[in-house]
Amino acid sequence: MGDLKARLKPLFRRSSTFSSPKSPKSPKSPKSPKTPVFEAAPTGDTPADGQSVSKTSLRLKTKKSPFTIPVYEEKEVPPQLPPLTPIETESLGRGDLEQSPNTSVEARGLPQPSSLERDNPTLTVEAPTPQSRGGEVGGVNARDPGHLAEPDAGSTITSRRPSIADRRQSPAHDNQSRLITSLSQSESLQLQPTATDYFGEALVPAKMQQHKKIWVKRPGSSATQVIINEEDLVDDVRDMILKKYANSLGRNFDSPDVTLRILYRRPSGRHSQTERVLGPEESVSKILELHYPGGQSVEEALIIDVPQRRTPKHSPHLAMPYYLHDDLRPRENGTDYFPPMPLQGPHSPHLPSNLSVSSTQGVSHHPVAHSIGVLAAGQVPKLPSPGARIARHSQHRPKYGRQHTSSPTVIQGAGNAPTHDNLKSSNPQPLPTPPIPEELSPRKAVTPPLPRASSPGPRSKVLVTKRSKKGIEQTSAAPGSVRDGAVPPINVLIVEDNIINLRLLEAFMKRLKVRWSTAMNGKDAVMKWREGGFHLVLMDIQLPVMNGLDATKEIRRLERVNSIGVFSNSASSTPTFANGEGVGVDRVPGIEDSLMNTALFKSPVIIVALTASSLQSDRHEALAAGCNDFLTKPVNFEWLTRKVMEWGCMQALIDFDGWRKWKDFSQTKAAEKAAGQSTGSGKSPKAMNGKVQAGGGKKEKEKMTLALVKENKASSEDTGTSTDTNGDSGSGNEITGRP
Amino acid sequence: MAESENGSMALPDFGDSIDALTFEQILEMDDDEEDREFSKSIVYGFFEQADATFKKMDSALKDNDLSALSSLGHFLKGSSATLGLTKVKDSCEKIQHYGQRKDVNGNPTHDNDARCLSLISDTVKVVKADYEEVERVLKRFYGDTGK
Repeated sequence: MGDLKARLKPLFRRSSTFSSPKSPKSPKSPKSPKTPVFEAAPTGDTPADGQSVSKTSLRLKTKKSPFTIPVYEEKEVPPQLPPLTPIETESLGRGDLEQSPNTSVEARGLPQPSSLERDNPTLTVEAPTPQSRGGEVGGVNARDPGHLAEPDAGSTITSRRPSIADRRQSPAHDNQSRLITSLSQSESLQLQPTATDYFGEALVPAKMQQHKKIWVKRPGSSATQVIINEEDLVDDVRDMILKKYANSLGRNFDSPDVTLRILYRRPSGRHSQTERVLGPEESVSKILELHYPGGQSVEEALIIDVPQRRTPKHSPHLAMPYYLHDDLRPRENGTDYFPPMPLQGPHSPHLPSNLSVSSTQGVSHHPVAHSIGVLAAGQVPKLPSPGARIARHSQHRPKYGRQHTSSPTVIQGAGNAPTHDNLKSSNPQPLPTPPIPEELSPRKAVTPPLPRASSPGPRSKVLVTKRSKKGIEQTSAAPGSVRDGAVPPINVLIVEDNIINLRLLEAFMKRLKVRWSTAMNGKDAVMKWREGGFHLVLMDIQLPVMNGLDATKEIRRLERVNSIGVFSNSASSTPTFANGEGVGVDRVPGIEDSLMNTALFKSPVIIVALTASSLQSDRHEALAAGCNDFLTKPVNFEWLTRKVMEWGCMQALIDFDGWRKWKDFSQTKAAEKAAGQSTGSGKSPKAMNGKVQAGGGKKEKEKMTLALVKENKASSEDTGTSTDTNGDSGSGNEITGRP
Repeated sequence: MAESENGSMALPDFGDSIDALTFEQILEMDDDEEDREFSKSIVYGFFEQADATFKKMDSALKDNDLSALSSLGHFLKGSSATLGLTKVKDSCEKIQHYGQRKDVNGNPTHDNDARCLSLISDTVKVVKADYEEVERVLKRFYGDTGK
């Protein structure tokens, strides 16, 4: 190398002489070498230069005729660099800095002319300068030839060289040689044009000064360079980084999200480092100078950190729920007159679709044709199995209900044409009723008023309250209890022949604080049902005497014959229909079939089949018989709760008048009733009161919805109106049968 | 559900013969986790019911009364299912099916009565064994936690 230097020196000097004059400051520089040096270094785009140089050097090597080559020419100069770099060690570069303030040398190695200008004083000696930039130098020279290199520079330069070498080496060290090569190529490309510029334009150098490149990398990946201006702050660098990482970062992060870390390198030259996060306001150039006096190597790339979370661009999460909403909407709207209203459409007895809605509800998302429809069509729909265990613990509940909680906006947006019309007529506003979006979806339609959440949580709470009382359940109205608020005040008929199951179901009904009665066989069940006032029947399928399916069929038949609920208006299927509304009057229902108090049968009772069978065929059978829904044993209490709430709420809304009446009614005559009605039921008058009262709280909402329903469906009310008068009589009577 | 979690933590491992989730929801209904009055009464009620049912099954076997066996199987199936006694429940379902001259899966078969009876007879033995295991576990459970 010595030879080379020797040979080169003259060349450099020349160049230096030319170049040095350029920078007026340069003379000063010797005193405060560092500052100028730094500037130079940054401007020089060290890495890029080095690389470019190397390439050139390679070419040159082959030529290997340094002598002949004039300083001015770029090509010639570069060759020198390569040889030098390898020889010199990093340590030198670093250590040298102290020794020779001129550190700037590196900068020279770096392509940038600007550095050259300032540094030149020092550089001049060694020529080293970059050689790569020989061209530049030439340009410079033109400006001030007067400046000659300072003698000292030479030594410093050599020392610095190494730093360049380091850079080159470092890439090689990195496993990512491939990347580096690619980078170098790209960089070299960039450089080339600049080089030409240098020659051509005097201005170029100025520009060059402002730009430099720094290494950055993401943790665990290869380093890359970004171009910065001398004065750039870390904040600016972040922007550049985002541009550089346009895909991986740029799409998801904003520059404020990005943090940069710098790894200290120890003076010792070791790479053991501590690190520091750079503040956005810090000057990149200065930081780099400070911490990497010899120049930044690839290994010292600033580390880019980004937060884990992604910035919510299009907020995919939100999008999903909305999407779902929209999905559901159409259906809801389609069915419902008042989309916003929770219960309306499906509940109105008049709509033939009622049952179908109900049947689908609790069970699953699969479309289930309603049982009545099955009778007519003769086809059995696919059945989902509600009993599936998985379901119980899973997140079912929250899923739809919560999201729906309708923000008015959503409703508006989603509303289909029909919906809008309705809305406008009834409610121009978005719908204040967020009561329950669930309602909108057919499945959940029933539940609306009731907080879904209640099922799991509340239960435990209830227990807590109850604990004190040991075994005895107080069915009395406990205003404080959660259940009261959650479960509609319905009357449930439990039909179950197994005493064990019966006891459990009873206990469960107690907890739900709903009224209930029991029947041990199908025949008994029908008898009980005829008393009226039941909203929900939990029907075991296999029963002695009369099995659950037969009992169900019988109940449906009686409903039809007596024109209860849906049947009164709905299709021809019922012969009764032709005769009009008269309940017991017509010949159709025989005396034995007529129901005592039609007022108590506002709508077809909901029959939920209970079966221990896992067979699909059994479920089909159950639906075909007229059951609305089914549960698989062992009955999951959570499911049961849900069923009770869903169906119960629906029924409660339909029978709102009934409820109101019941309230008064039950207060006065509860005792009688209980006696009259129940053989097996454990309900106490207190319980009834409690229920009803509890229900009162919700009534406001219910009223609203009900009123709407009524408006639309005045016809159905025929039976309903009679309710008031009949109500009292309903209590005890059984088969009194009207003529 | 907090309660059930607490309760379940205290529960022994019932093994695969008892479905923990199902049984826990019954335990959950206990007002007092110390004496577990409610669930205990249910469980012991089931013991009685099972004993009675097995006796009926035995006599029905003697009488070759398939339909009675089927309904007995169904009967016990209901309560055992409710308690989460899966093994017992499954065996009872088999008995129910065999009694209806169906195979295990509930499909009609052409087995003659003798064949069905022998299947039932075998299954009854199995169910009794299953039951005894469950009974042992449950009694231990209530013995441990009970007064």
